[in-house]
Amino acid sequence: MKLLIKRPTQSVIEVQLATATSAQLADINSELSLGLSVEELEVVQTYFRRENRNPTDVELQAISQAWSEHCCHKTFKGKIKIGDDQTINSLFKTYIAKATKQIDAPWCVSVFEDNAGIIKFDKGQGVAAKVETHNHPSAVEPFGGAATGVGGVIRDILGVWADPIACTDVLGFGPLDYDYSKLPAGVKHPKYVYMGVTAGISTYGNNMGIPTVNGAIYFDDSYTGNVTVFCGCVGILPLSKYAKNAQAGHILVLAGGKTGRDGIHGVTFASTELTEKSEEIARPAVQIANPIEEEKLKRAIVEIRDRELGSAITDIGGGGLSSAVGETAERFNCGVAVDLEMVPLKYQGLAPWEIYLSESQERMLLTCTPQNLEAVLAVFAKEDVTATAIGKLIDERRLKLSYQTELVSDIDMELLFSPPQSSKTACIKTPQFTEPNLPQPSNLTEVLLQLLGAPNIASKESVIRTYDHEVKGNTLLKPLQGDYAGPNDAAVLKPLDQSLKGLVISCGMNPNYGKIDPYWMAASAIDEAMRNNIAVGGRRIALLDNFTWGNPEKPERLGSLVRACEACYDYAVMFKAPFISGKDSLYNESPLGPITPTLLITAVGIIPNIEHTISMELKKQDNPLYLIGKTYPELGGSEYYKLNGHLGASVPKVRGGKAKQTFKAITKAIDQGLVKSCHDLSEGGLAVATAEMAFASGLGLSLDLQKVPTQDIERDDFVLFSESNSRFLIEVADADTAEFEKLMQGKGCVRIGKVTKEPKLHIKGLNGQTIVDAPLDVLRQRWKKTLNPKETE
Amino acid sequence: MNPQDIKVCILRAGGTNCDAETQRAFQELGTQAHTLQVSELIKHRNLLDYDVLVFPGGFSYGDYVRSGVIFARHLSAHLDKEIQSFIDEGRPILGICNGFQILVEYGLLPGFEGISPVPEAALTTNEPAGFKCKWVYLKQENQGRCLFTSSIPQGKVIRLPIAHGEGRLLFPKEKEETLLKRLVEEDMLVFRYCTKDGQPANGQYPTNPNGSFYDIAGICNPEGNIFGLMPHPERALYWWQQPNWTRQNQMLQYGDGKHIFQSIIDKLTKT
Amino acid sequence: MKYAVKIEVSLKPGHSNPEGETTARLLVELGFSVEAVEVSKVYKVVLEASSMVEAEQKAQEMSSRLLVNPTKDDYTISVAERK
Repeated sequence: MKLLIKRPTQSVIEVQLATATSAQLADINSELSLGLSVEELEVVQTYFRRENRNPTDVELQAISQAWSEHCCHKTFKGKIKIGDDQTINSLFKTYIAKATKQIDAPWCVSVFEDNAGIIKFDKGQGVAAKVETHNHPSAVEPFGGAATGVGGVIRDILGVWADPIACTDVLGFGPLDYDYSKLPAGVKHPKYVYMGVTAGISTYGNNMGIPTVNGAIYFDDSYTGNVTVFCGCVGILPLSKYAKNAQAGHILVLAGGKTGRDGIHGVTFASTELTEKSEEIARPAVQIANPIEEEKLKRAIVEIRDRELGSAITDIGGGGLSSAVGETAERFNCGVAVDLEMVPLKYQGLAPWEIYLSESQERMLLTCTPQNLEAVLAVFAKEDVTATAIGKLIDERRLKLSYQTELVSDIDMELLFSPPQSSKTACIKTPQFTEPNLPQPSNLTEVLLQLLGAPNIASKESVIRTYDHEVKGNTLLKPLQGDYAGPNDAAVLKPLDQSLKGLVISCGMNPNYGKIDPYWMAASAIDEAMRNNIAVGGRRIALLDNFTWGNPEKPERLGSLVRACEACYDYAVMFKAPFISGKDSLYNESPLGPITPTLLITAVGIIPNIEHTISMELKKQDNPLYLIGKTYPELGGSEYYKLNGHLGASVPKVRGGKAKQTFKAITKAIDQGLVKSCHDLSEGGLAVATAEMAFASGLGLSLDLQKVPTQDIERDDFVLFSESNSRFLIEVADADTAEFEKLMQGKGCVRIGKVTKEPKLHIKGLNGQTIVDAPLDVLRQRWKKTLNPKETE
Repeated sequence: MNPQDIKVCILRAGGTNCDAETQRAFQELGTQAHTLQVSELIKHRNLLDYDVLVFPGGFSYGDYVRSGVIFARHLSAHLDKEIQSFIDEGRPILGICNGFQILVEYGLLPGFEGISPVPEAALTTNEPAGFKCKWVYLKQENQGRCLFTSSIPQGKVIRLPIAHGEGRLLFPKEKEETLLKRLVEEDMLVFRYCTKDGQPANGQYPTNPNGSFYDIAGICNPEGNIFGLMPHPERALYWWQQPNWTRQNQMLQYGDGKHIFQSIIDKLTKT
Repeated sequence: MKYAVKIEVSLKPGHSNPEGETTARLLVELGFSVEAVEVSKVYKVVLEASSMVEAEQKAQEMSSRLLVNPTKDDYTISVAERK
């Protein structure tokens, strides 16, 4: 039996669904690359049997997009069975959204419901934030994949009427010295991917004139086959102009680039494991970026917003028009009628379903009243942007698409937006790891030098400087601090000319801990993002979660995802830091195996007066240096163990109650002007953090490990390199010590040394002997050399 | 003329992206600054209504063909006469980063003999190659010709950020020596990359961040009313934009970038 | 008559060529024995002209008015009839 029949007068195919057997459903699925399960197709079949007809290819494709992992987050919103007696009904609702609901922060304006989360900022303005993943496209075409990732997340911000003001990016690559001969076919060398991805990010952000202000680069073996690309963007909008009042009768306007075959089935591709054939299959999934088009689009959208000409807006990303059109209608409880022939094409020959699914870049969908249409189109024309009315919202709750005067889709909105809930099985494994038997090395200075040169700690200056982090002229705490380009903990922006309030952006990510325990990895990522924010003066912190995981059909992978979500709930609530937006990328598996489960936490805070912003480098000779927070023997997953070829078991935990007290006290000290410099302790622990503070400034440090508050540690190397969470180093002016110590009473805050004129790091060990003694320029050189051969001056 | 009477035209095209902060700098110092889309200027406005013309930074037209050339050719195709009159009257033109590239491609800079039909210089791929965003030190070398540096003493070292991939100024190899001589003799040199204490970079990276000929970061035309520079003064206007402000106890209100805007305002208000 | 004009713009000898040098360095790193890399841009222009000579003239004009900066660029033009 022929399953696909081309209708004689049309460019659509009638799919013989109504009479199809299960086996035939599977054939239809693969023939049309729908990416649906047979069970899902049976639901579709039942629907069309009831309608008493067969669907067109357009209808099936529209359903497949709406039901894709990417669009409806089957895993996060589906059922998860753990063992015989536990069922989680939606990870998202049970953990992430629940935390936000419970915290109930009055400054949250819009969470999880729009293209980006929105929080209040100042003077009637809100801040919108979003972080996206673009892993699969970047694996196939690193430059284009990363560039369109940036372009996509910027459109998410435009998609809530906000003017994008800064980008962030967090990247994960395989080791740059990976042996070529070990690369399986279809996997690109990490160095090639690294160069392409970083170039893609800088090109898009720089061309659009949006500063890239914060990020991280992380190296892990598992990223060799699964490059990890998180692209973030924050924007600012007058809250009174956050228009979302579309209704039946309003016109749909498609604006921006023309539509071609770019990226068709990108959505289904994103939820498939990468194989050797991915390159072949994915070619059409690769999109070409045109940042200048988006720059013009941005100008027009901001003007339309300010003149209040639009009634709703959304970006066109994964799933193309199908997602944007469907979601807009659904959101305003309408149906929609679109004439696909009105869509401006790059070239002729696209089938209606291709027009509807195309993921061509730099496009936005707006709605406006018929009265405002002319004015809206004029704004786009002025900016030299193509814009076309392609249809309208209608009362009847149907998706009506026409092409060449014939109806090619006419289905219930209800069907599109009530996918059958998926059900998966998770298995939670108790971590089984042991501590290595590692003798203490005799030369700890050498170990410190090696750690500073370790790829995850080493300076990323050569990449950061290819990103314009100062365009717009509002970046007041830059990613690299001072003459020696030290690593600041967070970026601070001054978004409004008429306000001294600052916006603080930071991130946290600890994939290595997740190999031991995903729960503590997630807790640590939250703690790290928070403390990075707090270290520069941030508070009132909102969080964004981005999960990059392996195939969730595999119970153990899903189990670790459940554990990470549990920690997200526990610590968001503990720190009263609500999640406002998030995104997941699952199915990151390659011939080299699954990705290391990776949770990126992005933190967006505020600082009431930018004058109180704190940078990380030492300020003045003879100032005392304090360590806040206790050091535990927590070396599991640390860079120190990694250097010695171990993973270990003692993963850093987060002692939430204590951490919260520490955070509060630091904010208070900063507000009282008692903090001269502050730096958080992360990879490489105390030794690396103190070295960074010193070599970023040119002033030396003299420390005494005997003073460091520890628990159950009797080894110098563990005190130096433990990665216990919630710890900070703070430099205080000599005259302020009494006041500072009073404020910090009971917070585990101890004076461990002082700033010296002599440019070297000097550390006395637990037995009073010198254990580290190194000139700053040597430390700095080692830190810079690994990834910046040209920058070592 | 009072500052508030000065009308500044900040001209943008698709891909220009430093117009807002450039406009803010001129407004901060009391002038009327307007950002105009180039088609708006061509169709609806008169260039000669403005006292200062500014080409801000960005990636106009995606920097296709060569940075700045499409903007330059587009403008000369439509507004050649107006631009000529603007210059003949000695009105000032400033080009920052991409704006400098536009002025060079237009033939306005160096402009040894007025507007040149073909570019007399090039701003091309950095050496070492690649986009670079960082703060640099610049020595003010102009003896008084340049209208945009009149309030910066000759020999003074200032600090501004750069952010470009194509900022290496070069001349035809065979004319380098002669042209340099003219630049010096006609007081067209303005900024050169230098060390913190004012020593010449001598072409050495990273003090000279892009391999620019004779460490040149900015030049003016022989009349001194057209000035182009690769660094961004509009990003060094306020105290909090300075890279080292967190180290200072007493912060100055403004950064070094202010002098460039203030110089031209002073010139115009005194005439 | 339709002509396909190819205009190749390359860097004049004597100027340094950071893009080529960077690429060369990487190719060497990848194990190729490479002496030098030159990068040029090729514009393929399809145009209407009465003759080959006119097509070439037009290409010359395009080069000097837009595509070439004589300070640093050399260029070559080739013309072919387009079927």
